[in-house]
Amino acid sequence: MITLSSYAFVSMILFSIGAIGVIARRNIFVIYMSLELMLNGVNLFLVTFARYHFNIEPQIISIMVISIAAAEAAIFLSIVILLFRSKKSLDTDLFTSLSQGEKR
Amino acid sequence: MADILFIALAFFAITGAIAMLVYRSPMFSALGLLITMLSVAGMFALLNATLLFMVQIIVYAGAIMALILFILMFLNIKEEDLPKEPKKFMLIGFGAILMIPLNILVLKAVSNLPNKDLTPIESDFGTIKPVGLILYNEWIIAFELISILLLIALVGSVVLAKRRKTKITSKED
Repeated sequence: MITLSSYAFVSMILFSIGAIGVIARRNIFVIYMSLELMLNGVNLFLVTFARYHFNIEPQIISIMVISIAAAEAAIFLSIVILLFRSKKSLDTDLFTSLSQGEKR
Repeated sequence: MADILFIALAFFAITGAIAMLVYRSPMFSALGLLITMLSVAGMFALLNATLLFMVQIIVYAGAIMALILFILMFLNIKEEDLPKEPKKFMLIGFGAILMIPLNILVLKAVSNLPNKDLTPIESDFGTIKPVGLILYNEWIIAFELISILLLIALVGSVVLAKRRKTKITSKED
């Protein structure tokens, strides 16, 4: 029988893999996709609790999360295009313009 | 039936997430993430959230992943553009060890809750009508704020995409 714990297990695994991706990878696209994966894990948890308590409000919160992720995707991808044009790389260690000023 | 579906969806979700984590090329990572998104959408359907099932497929697996794949192909990323990651698997192991306490804490807290059957039921819970009623009656301010946020994101991405020649002038001031 599928219970609350099994859904919690899957969503925690997804969240943890997202966090590990943010920690371990240096490719900026993979870091962004790990953030999306963390949001997905939290969404799954919210929807599980909506079903568990038979209350619809967590589903509303996850709709909010999905729309904020859409806005975030637009901004993030345009920033990545700008950075890739100026640095010709996807390495996050090179994107230090904010902390150390523009190096040429 | 629902058990088998859940196990298959969980397997696909976790496999896709691991594929996203370990592949070197961002294109394969994006495809792995796509599998995860679709599996999570299936889990939403198992949890009686039919509207969210549609939203997840249309917005996440449709719009956002199509945008990511389009940008990846648009940038024409070559092998030398990718960062070198010699200590990737060591860092992944370190991160896994770092995440274990949080996982144990949450799973322990959840397993103390009373057990309830979560198999799908015949009702209109989670269809578009009750969700829309609560969204427009009680969450109307958040809904309007999100529309403003989406407008700001649209304007911001257009502004960021248009500044192409102002790159050199910023050095003088």
